[in-house]
Amino acid sequence: MLRPDGIRALLDRVTDEPIIANLGSATFDLYHAQQRDANFYTWGAMGMVSSIGLGVALAAPEKKVYVIDGDGSLLMNLGSLGTIARQNPKNLVHIVMDNQQWAETGGQPTHTSTGTDLAEIARASGIAHVIRVASLEDFEDALDHAVNEDGPWCIVADIEEHGHGARPPVSVEENLLRFRRTFTD
Amino acid sequence: MPPMHWTDAIVESLKSHDVWLIPYVPDAITWQVLSKLEQDPAFHTVPVAREEEAIAVAAGAYAAGKRAAVFVQSSGFGNTINSLAQLSQAHKIPVPTFVGMRGGLGEFNPVQIPSAHPIPGFLDAMNIPHYAPMVEDDVTSYVDGALELSFASRMPVAVLLYSQLVGAKRATS
Ligand SMILES: Cc1ncc(C[n+]2csc(CCOP(=O)(O)OP(=O)(O)O)c2C)c(N)n1
Ligand SMILES: [Mg+2]
Repeated sequence: MLRPDGIRALLDRVTDEPIIANLGSATFDLYHAQQRDANFYTWGAMGMVSSIGLGVALAAPEKKVYVIDGDGSLLMNLGSLGTIARQNPKNLVHIVMDNQQWAETGGQPTHTSTGTDLAEIARASGIAHVIRVASLEDFEDALDHAVNEDGPWCIVADIEEHGHGARPPVSVEENLLRFRRTFTD
Repeated sequence: MPPMHWTDAIVESLKSHDVWLIPYVPDAITWQVLSKLEQDPAFHTVPVAREEEAIAVAAGAYAAGKRAAVFVQSSGFGNTINSLAQLSQAHKIPVPTFVGMRGGLGEFNPVQIPSAHPIPGFLDAMNIPHYAPMVEDDVTSYVDGALELSFASRMPVAVLLYSQLVGAKRATS
């Protein structure tokens, strides 16, 4: 499975629901797949997308909220899995694109390359619904459940890294304001 | 009329500014406020594992149209910088942050001192306004002002809670 294919599979299943994208590859690939106001593109604050997603999910319980995380980033904020489990937001879908590397900084192998299992950590943190998938088909199946059934969900997808799209022309401030308007308008 | 207790003054200011979500890592100082917020249906408190999460949860709530404020201890202020700088400041997301300040008058724990003393300097270096009410008479005007400033400028603002206001802590850390 490739990250852009996974992102397209997600976009096929949503309308105006918020998607929060991890710095680098997820942000770039999401932008190129479909620019939409409900996309929150992060460019830094590494590790924080799961926590941002929790804040969005608590503030907007009527919307399903999607997070596209990276393995290196989630390894930096493992405590957020326990925080999410404790809040238990039914509307949060946390997708981790696990390429077993810090791709953005040159492809150095992360701990998932030597056996650290983020799905097991999510499960042991108390997340209600955790699925680990390795193919696009299984990812789509998992998404079909996550889109239609109460969460919180954590979907850890083993992906192959084939690079990402070019750096998109996004103003972080304008992105935030447009994203916010999808909730307040 | 005697001023409100400092904790009630903070609770009232948060309410009057429509702050709803309260992510926190507890300490004995801020718990005096947090324990009231936890009982009050106007607020939703979110205990987190680490301080940078608290800033990010607050930022997410603001991005989704709600208002949040964060409570941390001076020991953990350093843990906020990744999300304070690259999320709150960079995206212009207001995150009012209350810091229980250890390491000052009456401090018994020597390790609290070197982590607390640089905080005003860090905040200055980051261009984050910070205010420290030292007497109960000042709490409402400082906290109201800090919240107004944060939400109007869409930037983080810190309120530092020192032992002059909250009393020195005598037991554990
Ligand atoms: C706090 C922090 N530390 C380090 C970096 C440098 N950095 C940028 S992207 C990245 C790797 C992210 O890895 P992962 O989440 O697995 O995403 P991938 O690049 O593999 O898609 C790192 C280490 C950073 N931006 N912020
Ligand atoms: Mg990675």
